[in-house]
Amino acid sequence: MNEEFIHKWESQVKKGILELVVLNILNNRDYYGYELIEEIRNYTLIEIAEGTLYPLLIRLKESNLVISEWVEQDSGIPRKYYSITLDGKKTLKELNIYWENLTRSIQKITTR
Amino acid sequence: MNKINFKSDSAQRYYNEYINRVEKSISALSAADRNEMMMEINSHIFEGISRETGINELENLVEVTRRLGLPEEFLKPLVARKKLDQAVKSFNPKHVFQAIALNLKNSALYTVFALLYLFLLTFVGLVLSKIFFPTHTGLFIGNGSFRALGYVSETNGLTEVLGYWFIPISIIAAFLFYALITVLLKVSRKT
Repeated sequence: MNEEFIHKWESQVKKGILELVVLNILNNRDYYGYELIEEIRNYTLIEIAEGTLYPLLIRLKESNLVISEWVEQDSGIPRKYYSITLDGKKTLKELNIYWENLTRSIQKITTR
Repeated sequence: MNKINFKSDSAQRYYNEYINRVEKSISALSAADRNEMMMEINSHIFEGISRETGINELENLVEVTRRLGLPEEFLKPLVARKKLDQAVKSFNPKHVFQAIALNLKNSALYTVFALLYLFLLTFVGLVLSKIFFPTHTGLFIGNGSFRALGYVSETNGLTEVLGYWFIPISIIAAFLFYALITVLLKVSRKT
């Protein structure tokens, strides 16, 4: 078994599907950054350097798939809440269809 | 940004140092982008330490920042992309050069861009050279054929044919190289 190969492959797959995971989580309700990371940890086995999530959220924002808003807290440290846009919902629908087709075809190959 | 206050000096020092590293990693971004990211990371640290159950503040903080990662690493893709956006939108050579250095991992492509940049700077330099050394700078013909374009120290037997037209022509050439670099940067980003 080539562990180095597996590690590289896993990290590429993770990178690719993280946007899909984030959009699916935000499709249910609004989250602030830290909470979103906790939810990713709860639902998936994806282990990421948590800091990488923020550049990804900025990218989603620049693509108009999510919007964000700072909400003041009693602590004096505000939270930035992210929510999915209408365009984000439509895009996510297409991504989910693509993902389902992809996993179905891979299953066909692996169980041949 | 409201900084987080710790009871322990060691935790405060560790926090200040981490925040400084974040600040340094994004120093190339605009003030608005910098502020946004600083507040985001600060909020993450605050939420993280309030959930940690370690034996003291420092231990909690170390755990939260360990999971966040090294600022120099996780913020690099963001800075590289923002710099590229800035470079293709503006005509600021500083941004273009920074974008090239941050974005091009492929050394062959990097060399091509470096050469194009060198040509651009050469034409800018030649404009200055024409102003200070007018008889030694220009397009030189000798015995009816092309001999040199640029600066020559020995002009015996050579005739400079462009005169002061050399200046606008050099400026146009520099601009064309700049446009070419900008277009290639856009193309390289899409591929």
